[in-house]
Amino acid sequence: MIQLLGGIESTAAALASERVRMDVISQNIANASTLRGPDGRPYQRQQVVFESVLRDRMSGGGPGPAGATAVRVARVEPDPRPPRLVYDPLRGPIEVPNINVHEEMADLISSSRAFEANLAVLKTARSMAMQTLALGKR
Amino acid sequence: MNVIPVLPAVTGSVGALRVAPDARVPREIPVPELQPLPRGDAAGESARTAAPAPFGEVLARMVGEVNERQLAAADKVQGLLGGREVSLHETMIALEEASVSFQLMVEVRNKLLESYQELMRMQV
Repeated sequence: MIQLLGGIESTAAALASERVRMDVISQNIANASTLRGPDGRPYQRQQVVFESVLRDRMSGGGPGPAGATAVRVARVEPDPRPPRLVYDPLRGPIEVPNINVHEEMADLISSSRAFEANLAVLKTARSMAMQTLALGKR
Repeated sequence: MNVIPVLPAVTGSVGALRVAPDARVPREIPVPELQPLPRGDAAGESARTAAPAPFGEVLARMVGEVNERQLAAADKVQGLLGGREVSLHETMIALEEASVSFQLMVEVRNKLLESYQELMRMQV
């Protein structure tokens, strides 16, 4: 296939990665007060680790700048911070998840802004292509 | 060849050009050697019939690729609406690519037609 919208693969990969990050953040917020997980422990905050990957590796080598890199989710790992201890009048100190909802909201904002930035790249690439095609018009 | 419900006109023209459904498109479109103009006398007739076959082939391949992209976009939309693992942005990107390639095809067609009409208007 000829490449009409250059660099779109990196952007698409970034959009997909940001989606994963947002999913993980929403999972964290949803479980902010989950005291018992499947393992009997309070829910542990998850965080996403991104890594860059050679684009040729992803799409079987399309045209484009050599060594161009895209991004992908390397892994989703648990936050090593220990659970918080909260005093419960009936049961004494109990462990609650190590999640700070404000922190999650800040992460969510940054993730959605990153998504937006990649959409802007997409939009610009599209409008550049369309403007170039408009050269043919009189 | 599959039928795109969204753009029946494209499939129609592709069918008219008899493109093989699996015509793989090379990364660079080979530019055919320029043929010497036939030394005809009837300018109009020769202009219409003397379109060298290789260029027609190039054009047909391009139409085939545009069609392929339309099909890919339609497939993505079907996947998204059908609940398969297709994300929204993938679908939109496929649609954009389809739209840009279609626009390119239209521009090429406009240019061809324009030059043909320019030739037809020429004073002999």
